[in-house]
Amino acid sequence: MTEEKQTNKKLRHKFWQFFWRSWAIQTSWNYEAQMNMGFMYGMAPTIDEIYGKEPATPEKLDKKKEAYHRHMAFFNCTPQLTSFVLGLSSAMEEEYAANPDTFDPDSINGVKTSLMGPLSGIGDSLFQGTIKIVAFGLGINMAQQGNIFGPILAMLISIIPSALVTYWGGKWGYLEGKKNIQKLIGNGTINRIMSLMNVIGLMVIGAMIATMIGITTPVKFGKSFVLQKTLDSIFPQMLPLAFTMVMFYLIKKKVNTAWIMVICIVGGILLSVLGIFK
Amino acid sequence: MFWKAFVVALIGVFAMFDSRLLGRENFEQPLVVSTLVGLALGDVSKGLLVGATLQLVTMGVVQVGAAVPPDWVLGSVVASAFAILSHTRAQVALTVALPVAVLGQLVAIVVRMLFSSFNGLVNRAIDQGKFRKARNYHIVYGPIIYGLLYFIPVFFAIYLGTDIVTSLVHMIPAWLTDGLTLASKILPAYGFALLMSTMITKKNAVYLFIGFFIAAYGNLSVIGVAIFAVLLAIVLNKFMGNDNSANPEAATAEKADDLDDLEEL
Repeated sequence: MTEEKQTNKKLRHKFWQFFWRSWAIQTSWNYEAQMNMGFMYGMAPTIDEIYGKEPATPEKLDKKKEAYHRHMAFFNCTPQLTSFVLGLSSAMEEEYAANPDTFDPDSINGVKTSLMGPLSGIGDSLFQGTIKIVAFGLGINMAQQGNIFGPILAMLISIIPSALVTYWGGKWGYLEGKKNIQKLIGNGTINRIMSLMNVIGLMVIGAMIATMIGITTPVKFGKSFVLQKTLDSIFPQMLPLAFTMVMFYLIKKKVNTAWIMVICIVGGILLSVLGIFK
Repeated sequence: MFWKAFVVALIGVFAMFDSRLLGRENFEQPLVVSTLVGLALGDVSKGLLVGATLQLVTMGVVQVGAAVPPDWVLGSVVASAFAILSHTRAQVALTVALPVAVLGQLVAIVVRMLFSSFNGLVNRAIDQGKFRKARNYHIVYGPIIYGLLYFIPVFFAIYLGTDIVTSLVHMIPAWLTDGLTLASKILPAYGFALLMSTMITKKNAVYLFIGFFIAAYGNLSVIGVAIFAVLLAIVLNKFMGNDNSANPEAATAEKADDLDDLEEL
């Protein structure tokens, strides 16, 4: 009984770690791999627990380094939904440590990658696009009448669903991951889930390219020829897609990240000064 | 004035930490920020009014993915303090908020590039077995750099006078601001391309285009496309049948093929 209580206490501690560390995921957001350091920080307690704070053997130290490196891969997701990914990845890391011969560690990042597209698409739309609009729509009204409950109400509407989703997401990801991951991997279901998640993720990325980049061209000749209109008549959001494809090509050609960044900035300034894009 | 500037700068740091350390709970929204500044400077009703005005302007700003919008946190902190301290109307605050927000946007782009250089340092620390050091880049240096980047400009803007900030911002030539704005639109394209490069194969590239064209032609939001994507995945799941579950080796073999395809690209 007491043992069970202790396990429960330990588990709750774990869930709160997922909670806070998924909220704190953006302090080192960067252009190269976005929230990767934050995710590594979120996984650190689990990895330290598995391989020891001071790994006893060189093999364990290597495994620990490997695990830290593994979670430095590109990551980007809505903070509130990251706890789910943290929970699931933690369960998978523990599974890998328990069965290093049968469990493919690449599948951990595979699952992460295929989850972040759909999760951030849904999370950003939910928290930024829906809850924020409702909360501050109400809040502005009260504030304009000089009522201080305007911002307080807006914060309550914002925080409560956010906190619930973060806590239960981490808990659910970890427990379900622990229970089902072996089964899922054993019969190949995980591959199917990954390719289906890939479908969802890619469609959402496609939609993000169409809705969130917003590069247009001001080029026109006389009154009759407006280039943007012509481009739109071929297909809308052509420029954002074209820019993404150019970037994709540069990545595939393994052009150095710093160079791509320089190209973006210098190119952006040049193209803007020349009046080609805006 | 020293203490007023100090407290307002701390409010700025807190608001900025919202999306860094607190999972973006909306503490950074102008309505909340300006009310806090109003409370600190003893004029709550002016704070509420400035907040409501700025909030209306920024309602459509959705911070998603890699896009860097004008920094309304910085804008609303400085603008509401300026409006309260100089006893101007709430609407006037907007003329201060906008240039400050654009200035903040430029700084944000630079910081995010600076943090890119942390990646190499963290990986080196891990190789050396210095795990605490590796974690500190994220949880100690990140917040300190962001904190200082907010505290210093807000403090001096309030302490030395908002006029100076406004005139400084006016000195930045328009071509540079426009150029960096375009650059900040191209950089997300790079972000999405990175995301694609980790997921795409010749076989599944078609789904990216399905998502793109549904959104481009249908004017559908991302959540709308996500709903279609989930439904499509359910349908595909039916057609994939039990092939994978009946023969796990075939499934892994197929996965290996996909990776080969990726390298050919």
